[in-house]
Amino acid sequence: MKLSRRDFLKKSSLIAGMAALGSQVVSLGSVAAEASEAQGRVKQIAATVSEDVLIPSTDIMCVNFCGIRVRRVNGVIRAIYGNPASPYNVGHLCPKGQSGIFDVYNPYRIKAPLKRTNPDKSPDADPKWKEISWEEAFEEAAKMIKEAMDYDPRSITFQWGHGKYLVQDKYLKAFINEAIGSPNNVHRTTVCEAARHVADELTWGGHGFLPDLEYTEYYLNMGANFTEAEQWARWLDRTCMKRVVEDGMKLVVVEPRLSNLAAKATEWIPIKPGSDVVFLLAMARELIAQGYVDEEFLKEYTDAVYLVGEDGKFLRDENGNPLVWDSKAKKAVPYDEAEEILLDGKVTVDGKEYRTSFRVFKDYLFQNVDLSEAEEITGVPAETIMRIAKEFGEHARIGSTIEIDGKKLRYRPVVIHTFRGMSAKEYGTQNWRAALIVQMLVGNFDAVGGLRLHKANPDYKNMKPSKCEYPPSRVDLAGSVFYPHATHNVAEQPHLTYLEPEKYGLPYKPKLQIVYATNRLFSTSEVEKQIEGLKKVKQIAIDIVLSEQAQMSDLVLPNKSYLECWHFSPTRWTPGTGHSAIRQPIVNAYNLPHQDFDILMILADKAGILDKYIEGMHKKWGFKNGEFNVLKSKYEELKAKNGGSLAGKKDAEELSKLSVKIVWEKKTGKPFDYALKHGLVAKTVDVEHRYLKDAEKFHGKGKPKMHFYAEQLVHTKDKVLEIMNKQDNVRKVFEEWYEASGEELKKLIEIKLSPFPRKEHALPTPHRKAKDYPLYLITYKRMYRNQANPDALNPVLNEVAHDSSSNYMLINPAKAKELGIKDGDEVWIESRVGKVKARAKLSEGIRPDTVAVSYHYGRFAKAFPSYAKQGTHINRVLELHPCLISGHNSFLDTKVKVYRA
Amino acid sequence: MVRYGLVIDLAKCIGCRSCVAACKVENMVQPGNYWNFVLEYEQGKYPSVRRIFVPMNCQHCENPPCVKACPAKAISKNEYGVVLIDYNKCKGYRYCIAACPYGVIHFIDKEKTLYPNGEKTPYEALPAEARHPLHRKKPGIAEKCTLCWHRIEKALKEGKKPGSDYDSSPACVPVCPAGARYFGDLDDPNSEVSKLIASRRAIQLKKEYGTRPQVYYLV
Repeated sequence: MKLSRRDFLKKSSLIAGMAALGSQVVSLGSVAAEASEAQGRVKQIAATVSEDVLIPSTDIMCVNFCGIRVRRVNGVIRAIYGNPASPYNVGHLCPKGQSGIFDVYNPYRIKAPLKRTNPDKSPDADPKWKEISWEEAFEEAAKMIKEAMDYDPRSITFQWGHGKYLVQDKYLKAFINEAIGSPNNVHRTTVCEAARHVADELTWGGHGFLPDLEYTEYYLNMGANFTEAEQWARWLDRTCMKRVVEDGMKLVVVEPRLSNLAAKATEWIPIKPGSDVVFLLAMARELIAQGYVDEEFLKEYTDAVYLVGEDGKFLRDENGNPLVWDSKAKKAVPYDEAEEILLDGKVTVDGKEYRTSFRVFKDYLFQNVDLSEAEEITGVPAETIMRIAKEFGEHARIGSTIEIDGKKLRYRPVVIHTFRGMSAKEYGTQNWRAALIVQMLVGNFDAVGGLRLHKANPDYKNMKPSKCEYPPSRVDLAGSVFYPHATHNVAEQPHLTYLEPEKYGLPYKPKLQIVYATNRLFSTSEVEKQIEGLKKVKQIAIDIVLSEQAQMSDLVLPNKSYLECWHFSPTRWTPGTGHSAIRQPIVNAYNLPHQDFDILMILADKAGILDKYIEGMHKKWGFKNGEFNVLKSKYEELKAKNGGSLAGKKDAEELSKLSVKIVWEKKTGKPFDYALKHGLVAKTVDVEHRYLKDAEKFHGKGKPKMHFYAEQLVHTKDKVLEIMNKQDNVRKVFEEWYEASGEELKKLIEIKLSPFPRKEHALPTPHRKAKDYPLYLITYKRMYRNQANPDALNPVLNEVAHDSSSNYMLINPAKAKELGIKDGDEVWIESRVGKVKARAKLSEGIRPDTVAVSYHYGRFAKAFPSYAKQGTHINRVLELHPCLISGHNSFLDTKVKVYRA
Repeated sequence: MVRYGLVIDLAKCIGCRSCVAACKVENMVQPGNYWNFVLEYEQGKYPSVRRIFVPMNCQHCENPPCVKACPAKAISKNEYGVVLIDYNKCKGYRYCIAACPYGVIHFIDKEKTLYPNGEKTPYEALPAEARHPLHRKKPGIAEKCTLCWHRIEKALKEGKKPGSDYDSSPACVPVCPAGARYFGDLDDPNSEVSKLIASRRAIQLKKEYGTRPQVYYLV
């Protein structure tokens, strides 16, 4: 059969990216082709300069949400520039942000709704996609939702990752929690920094701090790497480099691999993977021994003064108030009644011995944390730990104040920061707790140059013991006995629950999963099990390419890309600024009719839950005056205009635009035209709001106290053990996760839920059990990919650096020589759960006992071409021993052996 | 005289390649060619090791070997100190590539598309008329950094001082996340670039060749 050029373009551009075509490269359509308004086709471009404009919008190539200005020439995106008016990125933009053009002009985009016709969901099987009309797609999706709702609304899960930052999760939560009535909304933070957040919440009731770098003099960075890729990177990198190079700030980077940040540091301390907690405990011991303790801060802001009994719980009065020791009255009294509060001491009350929680911690340190042992565990010389502690203590200037804008403020210009490095571990929460305790010792919370808290909330649920729900209500088991303090969802868990719901005591059967702009299959571990789990449910995907996750779908709805959508965008604050911003459509490269927001509205209507959805929007956004009701009337109006259905109708865009207008006007008080013209509105934060709004919630009498000592974990532990003793299946899950049973398991759970960090927290399961696997394996991010999104297809990102199109295994030359491995050799990386091939790259910038592989390469989506699949998918060999407290995935704990392939 | 140049702070450079991406997209650089790239190497032995990043582009030499080497007289240094290749005169002899001690001139051997399917994206399909002449490239010619002459030229036409704001600076400068790149007039002692060269240790690469580069590196 001979195809005319026009036929070829029509066919190929419509189905480009489909798995049926494998790696075959298909047409984007060409400008020479005649103009067409048909879906999936590109428009003709004028041959003279008819237009050259800059349109402000907001980036979402990663989670920094930089202000951008998109240059459009003759209807075509010509370039993406930073927006200098953004207080966050001040015009700076990383390679991802600049190459977003090719997320839009990407021949592998999905250009029509697709229905699976092959029930075999094996990764290698051809899904045999059938293109269907939007009307059919919406009817089909609505039918799937209604059927599952008829069985049990809880049987539906809605997972998103990037989706949260596109349309905003308030709409997504309104859809799943309110319109459908399921508790199962699952975001992705346990692949990022969730354990850090949970540690913060256990300590000061909020999360999302920033180092107050504009004033910091001594900055200890332990496993954050914003020079390559991270949240807040565009503020952190310029501020950090300015402070280091121009102002002489000391930057000490503690991590096993010489990251690009470590490459810029005053000092790099290569620490053994997993052992940060011991480094910090040893630092704490030194700080106390050398007298670098902000006693005033500990007494006035924290529970370090509460009396702790032998059972690890606070001594309380009959009203439940924790008691402190009043040295003047010589008795135990509630905090508010004490005149002279004892910080460091042991007392007897009613014949029983009690110690202040500060003393409990101090005793632990002096009895159990020995500097020479710390050297052995961390691989960092004892004298280095002592020196860093001394430098940290000295630079903290305990007791000093500084005046800014007429306000006298506590001045502690030292800070510790982390991101994934200390979080992505079996003991992630406890690791970061150790850093928080070190910082409380010197009193840097909300002090100038210290740790700037964010939305501290003394009443937040993680400030209290967990209810340890059983049976679990959610498929990700968050908040249940399995992950009692997981407040950021558990991204790796839903597919595993689908596989064996009864194992976790789930009281219903999962039936349907909706996924929006996320790729759990690629970005979490236990890949094979995740695939098997996914086979057990139906899936509807909303995405722009056929990713590994989308490939497992029964139905795929193509979304517009971020430069084609209306969004009220999330933004990033800095210690001194904040802003609100929108995303507005620049082009519509493939003439697609729908974006996320209107897809959900039409879907809600077809499933008969539109009213509940709109009600849910009000609830999730906290809007009390029916602000979204106008969406309903607009919807009805547009529906009537379009013959009774908006499926496949471009008018639907008006709904998305209207939703952005509603939120913009409500949030900023500015007319929508302002948003269209400027893209954002910025504000500065005054000194009062910068330093005196969060930690102050805990300051002095009549206020609750921060948790130097996380007593709530002791109560949580009692409940976990109680349920585990009653429920065999719970015990079995823990036995499997932590490879222990009987007394050993009980002891392990006590250690996991310890009220303060301990040196055992440096020993995740593989470090204890994988005896025949001598090397530590760590994974890390690189600049040229964001998690598991379409970046692998992006031609600019793939050639922006000599090594950006693939990854490799970093190994120290001394170790490589010992193993007979040369630079560029193909090697096997083998753990207890599998092996993968990788290319060795010799580097002096890594510990000899550690290998490192970046985690976003080795894509296996069937629709992706071979150039996008290069590299090693390292997650396949990672052992999963989730953080019991937060549910964080243990990305950094696996041990391996490496040998030539 | 006005003599535009760059100052790159190697102490600040984080090796992110934002400058590379900015250049690629802004200048529609042929896939596989680089007007701007970053050299990366390690120095020292574990644990006393550093990683160094050196962004590289045309040094816009005061005494440019490429100009002398070109038999077609296609390369010239303009009155603002910017070295430019005239694509209409370039015959593809590639003597400039051999003569340049910095390896920053590239040859366009054949037309390549960004996606390996051979189809142009709308971005690549923008017709010559909708592009600045410096972005109207074709197979058989050499290409290299123009210091974003099209932006300088536009600023001059609009009566703006080149480098005074985002859009009148070379694309690689204002995007730099570490704030490591500076553009300005090397002949103006009060310009930021001149002040940086005077106050910090600033080096020019391969000075021994007598090329007198207009790109300075702060170390």
